[in-house]
This record gives sequence, C-alpha cells and structure tokens, in this order.
Amino acid sequence: MAKSARQAQIEKAALYPLDWTEERTGLVGYTKWFLFRHVPRDVNWMQTLGAATLTAFLVQAITGVFLAMYYKPDPNSAYESIQNISNEVTLGWLVRGMHKWGASLFIILMFLHMARTFLFGAYKYPRELNWVIGVLLLVAGMAEGFTGYLLPWDQTAYWATVVGININATAPFAGPFIAQFLQGGAQIGPDTLAKFYSLHMLVIPGGIMAMIGLHMYLVLRLGVTSPPWSKTAAGRPRPDAEPTGDRTGLTREPSSEETS
Amino acid sequence: MASKRQQEYRAQHKRYKEDVAKEGKPFFPYAIYHDTIMSLVVVVVIIGLAVIWKYTADGTEAGMLGPLYEAKADPGTTNFVPRPDWFFYFLFYLLRIFKWPETVVLGTVGIPTLLLVLLMTLPFYDRRPERAVLRRPVAFVAAILVVISMGVLTWKGATAKESLGSETLSLVPGWAEQEGFAGNPVAVEGAGLFAESGCLNCHVYLGAGAQNLGAPDLSAEGAKGRGIEWQVAHLKNPSSKTPGSQMPSFASLGEENLIKIATFLEASKGPVK
Ligand code: HEC
Ligand code: HEM
Repeated sequence: MAKSARQAQIEKAALYPLDWTEERTGLVGYTKWFLFRHVPRDVNWMQTLGAATLTAFLVQAITGVFLAMYYKPDPNSAYESIQNISNEVTLGWLVRGMHKWGASLFIILMFLHMARTFLFGAYKYPRELNWVIGVLLLVAGMAEGFTGYLLPWDQTAYWATVVGININATAPFAGPFIAQFLQGGAQIGPDTLAKFYSLHMLVIPGGIMAMIGLHMYLVLRLGVTSPPWSKTAAGRPRPDAEPTGDRTGLTREPSSEETS
Repeated sequence: MASKRQQEYRAQHKRYKEDVAKEGKPFFPYAIYHDTIMSLVVVVVIIGLAVIWKYTADGTEAGMLGPLYEAKADPGTTNFVPRPDWFFYFLFYLLRIFKWPETVVLGTVGIPTLLLVLLMTLPFYDRRPERAVLRRPVAFVAAILVVISMGVLTWKGATAKESLGSETLSLVPGWAEQEGFAGNPVAVEGAGLFAESGCLNCHVYLGAGAQNLGAPDLSAEGAKGRGIEWQVAHLKNPSSKTPGSQMPSFASLGEENLIKIATFLEASKGPVK
C-alpha cells in the first residue's frame, strides 16, 4: 500500500534534522558507513577485547573527572580529601572504587587484547603501526598507574613513589634529570604531588586519547583480521582459483628465510 | 620492485578486502552486539569490585580487597612499605634479583628497556606472512616463556615479605648484644630508629632485612671509620657523599635522630664474637 501523504509528511519532518546535519557536515553518512561497514563474518569473541579496553578507559575518564572535583593535590589535604571522598561524598566511595579497580582492569584488558592480536598474528602487514601505537598505549597506561598511585598520599603511595623515582634515577643519561624533574625538589613533597597530578589527569590521558583515536582510525581503515584458524577467513589462500605455479601453497610452507 | 614477500602480502590484503566486502557481515547489529555485551560485563565487574572493596573494608582496616587507604604518608619515619601497584610487581621483583651494585642498572633500566624495544619492534623482525600460531613456533615458544616469567616475577613480587618497622624493632636488643653496644643508650636508640625507618628494606643488618638497589650490608659500617659527621651528611643527602647514590634522603628525620642513627652506625663494628 502506498504511503498516505500525511505519513510521508511526518517522515520527512522527522528526518529533517538529519538531512540538515548531513548537508552541513556529512557526519550522518560517516556514521552510516561506520555502522554498516562489513567486518569478517568469522570475528571471534576474543575480538571484543579491544572494545572492552576502550570501555574500561572511558570508565576511568568519567570517574576521574568526578574525583578531580573533590580531590586536593596538596600534601596537607590530599589524604583528608581521599577520606572525604570515601566516607562523606554521596557515592564518592563508588566513584573512587570504580576508578581504583577500573585501573587494574584496564591494564589487564590491555594485556589480554595484546595477547589476542599476537595470537592472531594481527601485527603483521599492513597493521604494524597499529601494534606500535598499542605498545605506546600500554606504556602510557602503566604510567597512569604509576602517577595515580601517589595521589592518595598514604604510606604505600609515598614510599612506592620514593623507590619508583629512585629507579628512574638509575637510568643512564636522562635518568637523573627525569627523576629530578618528577621529584621537583630535594624530597618528595608538594611539587612532586602537583606534577604527578598534572601528568595523571592532563598530559598522559590526553596522549592516550590521541593515540586511541589513531588506533581506531587504523582499525577502521585496515579492518580487523579473521581468526587464522577459520576455514572461511577473509583473505584465505585460494589454491584452486590460482593457476598452478610457484605461488601456489606458498603460504602453507614454512619460508626458508626465517622462522619466527 | 616490491619483493616477493611484499607482493604476497599485498595480494593477501587485497583478497582480505574483497572477502570482507563479499562475505562479511555488517558491524551493526552483529559485531556491535558482542562488543556491547563485553563492555557491559566490564562495567559490572568494575562496579562489583568497588562494592566488595567498600563493604568489606573499613578505613585503614583491610577487607577482601585491601584497606580503603593506609595511614597518611609520613616522610619522617616508620613503616616504609615500598609496594608498587600489582602490575609493577615484576619490575619490583626484578630489582631483588640484581643485588650487586654494578648490576642494579640492568634490573632497573637495562632489561625492561630491552624487552620494551623488542616488543615494540616485533612486526619489523617477525616478517613472515604466516598468522596461525602453531606455524609460528619461535614466536609461540617465546610468548609462552615471556608469559611464564612475567607470571612468576609477579607472583614472587606479590608474596615477597617486607620487613615492617614494628617487626624489626624487636631485633634491637639482640643487635646491641651481638655488636657490643648495649652499654651505649644513644646507639641503642639509634638502632631502634634504624629498624623503624625502613633502612632494612634496602640494607641487611646481621642477616635481617633485604638487599635492594645494591645497598651494602651495614653490620660492620662502623669499621669503615666514616665518623658521625660524615654519616649524618650522608643520611641527609646520600649523593653528596656517594655521587649517584640511589638511597633516598632521610633529612626529614631531623638532626637529633640522624645523630642517634649515626652513633648506632659508628658503633656497629661487626659482631664481637
Ligand atoms: C631505597 C633503598 C635504601 C634505603 C631505604 C636506605 N638506604 Fe642506605 N644505601 C642505599 C644504597 C643504594 C647505598 C649505596 C650508595 C651510597 O653509599 O649512598 C646505601 C649506603 C648506605 C650507607 C653506606 C655509606 C658508606 O659508604 O659508608 C649507610 C651507612 C646507609 N646507607 C645507611 C642507611 C640508613 C641509616 C638508612 C635508614 C635511615 C638507609 N641507609 C636507608 C640504599 C638505601
Ligand atoms: C587503550 C588501549 C587500547 C584500546 C582502547 C584498543 C582498542 C582496539 C580496538 C577496539 C580494536 C579493534 C579490534 C579488537 O577489538 O580486537 C583494536 C585492534 C588492534 N589493537 Fe588495540 N587497543 C588498545 C591497546 C592495544 C595494545 C596494547 C596493543 C598491542 C601492543 C594493540 C594492538 C592492536 C592491533 C594490532 C589491532 C588490530 C587487530 C586486528 O586487525 O585484528 N592495541 N584495538
């Protein structure tokens, strides 16, 4: 049955904002492309680990914003502000707990996601750079862990940082300078805390967000790999389709040049 | 001209793109469905941990997941518990393996940097197109070895015993007896401060403590003839006496306490028997 004129009119009115936006930004088209782009038919549950890592990072970003509203980066009040968040602020304990345990989960998920891309050989051509970005993300994630650990300003926090900074100082060449910069004085004190706070909530997360952006761009551009064991893997060799020649079966036999 | 391997790689990726276009399924609603479920699981687990943490712990009293916070940081004294977050345990334990001063830098910087570089450049030296893990034997074995050693180091780091100030304090009378300074009250007091201030997390004294960062055994420090003044200056700023020292400054203990510790150190000439 043909649509009535009235129905068509309502539909047009409803879609108007989308058309309006599309005409001016093209974003609707991009979103459609993003949602309806094809992925290999045999993607595996292990391939949700990247999205899970992203979720864990977003949890950190959101809970971190709320913690920053109540936390005071100064040795005289940091500890008390943490107590206040844990005991007084409405749901403060939940936000702080999620941030603390989310950090561990984020790191675990990053490692698992890395293990999955390793298992799939997904770091090989053309995805080499996405692996490199991934390793940088891993380092940045651990740096978040290190800088965040000092902030509660309790005994463990303080002394772990003393040792951490000393370890930094043993590095040849730049080591002592980095340690001196981090510490910002003869001893770990107000300057150290302010520096760690700024690194923890501005510098490193900014870097992580930029790198996640690049990481996602490459995932969209290159596509995700099929599990290598899949019979219907995208990009699988097709011996029958190719004329029998020296190329056939090349991917099956171990290369004589290298094994790794 | 592109090498044979390069051509093969390109052909493979071209086939991949064609296959995905032809046989693939749209991200929405298929893949995004799994991603969403997994993300929800992550959020639920995080909330669950936060709830267990809060409801089994009380302030500095540990629950199933540890205390909500430790005692406030006190640069001055007592329980020096240099415990990093768990994902640094492997580094933390690596440090304990490299006890000799010349090798400390290997554990702190050398090995971690080397491993990081190897990890980052993996796609540039592992260049065969093969993806199936069982047909990448070297990569497979290397990965298993890395996972096992990281696991062992993390576990060892987690179970390593820290000597807490309160525990070592009980050793002081024995020390005074063995080293023969029981008659010197200032030295005995200094020994107490020494036991409480976390010195034993890096130094060994008559078999107590743990050797870390290449710190020397102090059982016979007094025999070196450094003098009290030298000791106090070293404690205030170790690198002023030993350039590049990894020992932290203990200036915050205060002049008076430092003199007591120095007296104790100078009285420690090694076991008398
Ligand atoms: C984080 C580890 C660490 C802690 C904690 C530590 N030290 Fe040290 N200490 C070292 C290292 C490393 C050296 C060797 C480099 C040097 O001499 O400064 C050292 C050297 C020494 C020396 C030998 C100096 C000499 O050359 O004769 C003395 C004495 C000493 N420490 C006393 C102490 C006392 C007392 C404390 C506690 C108040 C303490 N240390 C805490 C790491 C530490
Ligand atoms: C903040 C941390 C990270 C986030 C949010 C993230 C996110 C993602 C997502 C969503 C994907 C899509 C496929 C999938 O989900 O598996 C992906 C793919 C990929 N990631 Fe990550 N990742 C992170 C860290 C890492 C790390 C630490 C590595 C490895 C060192 C890495 C290497 C890769 C590679 C090689 C791919 C391509 C996989 C393929 O094509 O099959 N990523 N990442």
